[in-house]
Amino acid sequence: MKKLPIELTINGRAHELLVSPKETLLNVLRERFHLTGAKYGCGIGECGACTVLLDGLPVLSCQLLAVMCNGKKVVTIEGLSPQEAAAHPMQDSFVEEGAVQCGFCTPGMVISATALVEEKSEPTTEDIKVALRGNLCRCTGYENIIRAVKTGARKMKEV
Amino acid sequence: MKKEFQFLGKDFPRKEGRARANGFEKYPSDLYFDNMLYGRILRSPYPHARIKSIDFSEAEKLGAVCVSYEDAPGKRFNLRLVSVPKATYKDWQLFSDHMRQVGDFFGAVAAETEELAEQAARVVKVEWEILPAYMSMDAALAAKDNLIHDKVFLEDQEIKIKNNIACTREVVEGDIEAGFQEADVIVETEFETPRQYHCQLEPRSCVVRPEADGGITVWPTTQAVHNTRILIGSVFNLPLNKVNVVRITGGGHFGSGIHTNPVTLITTALALKSKRPVKIVQSREEDMYDHVRYPSKYVLKVGARKDGTLVAGHMRAYIDIGCHHIQALAYLGVMSGFWHSLYRMENMKYEGTAVYTNKVPTCAMQGYGAPQVTFGVEGTMDMLAEKLEIDPIQLRIKNYVGLGEVFWGQGPTVKSPIFSDGVVELLKKGAESIGYYKRPGSQKQTGRYRRGIGFARGFHTSGTGAPVPGEVKDYTTVQVKVNEDGTIDILTALMDHGGGTLDAAAKIVAEEFQVPFDKVGISPADTRSTGYDVCTHATRGVYCGAGAAHEVAKKTKDVLLEYAARYLDAYPDSLIFSYDEKSGQTRISVWGNPEKTTTIAAVAEHAMNKDWGTAIYSKSIRKVACPPAYTNYFVEVEVDTETGHVKILRVVAGSDAGTVINPILAKGQLHGGFYRGAGMALLENTSYDDKTGCLTNKGSMIDYKMLGIDEMPDPDDFEVIFADTYEPTGPMGAKGIGEAAFNPAPAAVTSAICDAIGIRFTKLPILPEDIMDALGEGHDK
Ligand code: FES
Ligand code: FES
Repeated sequence: MKKLPIELTINGRAHELLVSPKETLLNVLRERFHLTGAKYGCGIGECGACTVLLDGLPVLSCQLLAVMCNGKKVVTIEGLSPQEAAAHPMQDSFVEEGAVQCGFCTPGMVISATALVEEKSEPTTEDIKVALRGNLCRCTGYENIIRAVKTGARKMKEV
Repeated sequence: MKKEFQFLGKDFPRKEGRARANGFEKYPSDLYFDNMLYGRILRSPYPHARIKSIDFSEAEKLGAVCVSYEDAPGKRFNLRLVSVPKATYKDWQLFSDHMRQVGDFFGAVAAETEELAEQAARVVKVEWEILPAYMSMDAALAAKDNLIHDKVFLEDQEIKIKNNIACTREVVEGDIEAGFQEADVIVETEFETPRQYHCQLEPRSCVVRPEADGGITVWPTTQAVHNTRILIGSVFNLPLNKVNVVRITGGGHFGSGIHTNPVTLITTALALKSKRPVKIVQSREEDMYDHVRYPSKYVLKVGARKDGTLVAGHMRAYIDIGCHHIQALAYLGVMSGFWHSLYRMENMKYEGTAVYTNKVPTCAMQGYGAPQVTFGVEGTMDMLAEKLEIDPIQLRIKNYVGLGEVFWGQGPTVKSPIFSDGVVELLKKGAESIGYYKRPGSQKQTGRYRRGIGFARGFHTSGTGAPVPGEVKDYTTVQVKVNEDGTIDILTALMDHGGGTLDAAAKIVAEEFQVPFDKVGISPADTRSTGYDVCTHATRGVYCGAGAAHEVAKKTKDVLLEYAARYLDAYPDSLIFSYDEKSGQTRISVWGNPEKTTTIAAVAEHAMNKDWGTAIYSKSIRKVACPPAYTNYFVEVEVDTETGHVKILRVVAGSDAGTVINPILAKGQLHGGFYRGAGMALLENTSYDDKTGCLTNKGSMIDYKMLGIDEMPDPDDFEVIFADTYEPTGPMGAKGIGEAAFNPAPAAVTSAICDAIGIRFTKLPILPEDIMDALGEGHDK
């Protein structure tokens, strides 16, 4: 199958790529850049483990063809923090609130959570439940995740 | 009673947290190596079939490396090696031409890209002979020929299989005939629990890299690196020093990694044949055909005297184990043991039968047999309480197995006395907090939405240690060393599944040395650099694993004390460790001589410069007890009588884990345990299309159905109470928590539903349509 040229900005760096029309954004990130923070949990849009930001909005990267992302900006969990050395306040909050167990859902959760707080700086429990409904976590029972998002929102205000 | 600690009992951010939250933690599916091939497993589309011929020529034309039963060593084995050989049934082969379930594997291909591997897998031609499939225990038990297995091996003894019965087990104490004679009241009920799927977020995966010395390095999704190595060595005839299995974080296990996953062996076969690194990441659908919790169906008969004393019990269980043994014998054993240890009963008889069917092989999932058994036993206790008109909590308090009694941790061969017990405290506090005695009950409610409060209690063993050897292996090897700057490294093959096991080990060692938590590190581990550790299962992580780290740390400390004594010119027994919060330094001082004082760092450095050596120690530690970690849940639900929907409003969890190492992580165990347990009660199950043998959820997580974030109670409505106990045999008073956090949850939710609508369900999951049927609302199925 013929490969197609695309431009993709990943975590602030511009790349020119040749991709096959069937290649998903998740595959490009993982297989080519080894940005493995976006996880494969199902591949069919059910678990949210592959969530990344596309032009600032959370998307399921397993459900997007790379060609559809031509000219767009992708931020993965590895590039979420604006400062290289420090973690994003949402990442810190997840650790502090005990919201990280096996951690496999965590990157996707954190991405979805920051996108929520960008939109709504003081999310209620209800807001969080709606925003994170598409991110499955099998470990935590979600309780500490809800706490972490609230703490993260507070911290994001401070910085 | 709790002791005062410097670090234990306080919330600490976990060590692995940062890497995981920042996206840098590597899981098996995240590994990439130069020259790596991608593998795809060849699977049966039929539930029961034999392969007449297989043709790889088209796949080979695409450049694929192919393996199948034709080049596999015929050896039989069991994937799960935690039991001793004489209690291990072997019915697995690396590949076989006999397909026993949809998704069974007969070969695999590897190619340069995933896409090519997929293509190659698609062009493999197979000629099939379809056999009759047994999709229910009744059908399987009625079969005379075309059995799922004709013969299996118990250790090395050949066993002929009849009627698809995989194994049976009987456990008897006292005399039940005589016992039931004494009973004033008898309750006999059939209970059934579902085939719950682990649904760990990372599908089981593996990467294997051949090494220049002829050996291999393996990165599997496993809970047991050493058992994985031993199995690979034996299946492929490789010396163990040529098989290095690396401990790598897994994206959740919940028991699905106690046994070596078939994908690990299949990836190894491809890597050995291709002589290149090979990676296989199973799809979610493949993962669903890979492992599932043991379901249970049993009739439980219990007799009690008027005063509530239990006198006799009889449990007859049939377990649909699917198409292979992943230690069903052990499962039958633990069912009897968990039952035996819930309530005192002088006369009991357990009869268990494990039946092969053409379904996904069943294995341990959080709680092993305890949630299944606790569901029926707690339901029975509620029914007895009603009949006897005794308060259900009092009936439990009267009969539970507690302090000073003998506890069966993991079936009849793992027994030890109970030294700590927070049951009464937790039941009282839980009842008080949720308002158990103020509940209206089903009789007084008439509206559409009815509320109910229920509870259940249970426990899990902390590990499978005991004073005498039993059917299960249990020990952990640890090395603790003090570095030249006073920091400490712990080296062990012990695994963390996300609950914080290794973190707990580090914290306990920090407490022992009185050094701050961030000065204790966990070294990367693999089977080459570590001694044997059986597996992180059976809630043994903290009690046995971190317990071993504690015992070894004390020995390392003895070495350090020798050096410090020499350095300070004093006797080792007079030295005191103390943590000085201001300077962040750990001081070693001679009592009564305040001027004679130094730091751990100074001693370690001095010992190196004087060539005294490193303070280091390594040892295998076996625990000689298996204390019960008790748990109870009080739950408030609201049942919508027009839709049958159940909403969980409030949870009060009570946990007797002894000393709580890191409360924030321990609470997380209870949140998660309850979530999966409530899921088992309300919706989780895997069912099959009888004609095709396929899962009806078609490998979809959404169709499998789990509770979502919006179906869990708000964080403020989930209270956790820890018992004020100290386990004298545990590391600094700690015992387990993990599986205990699950076990009573399904029973508690069921009891709350009963309180709301007056209907006691005996089969899980309790779906909305079941509730509507039971309410007699004429729901169409
Ligand atoms: S991997 Fe994309 S939603 Fe599951
Ligand atoms: S922490 Fe394991 S899936 Fe969320």
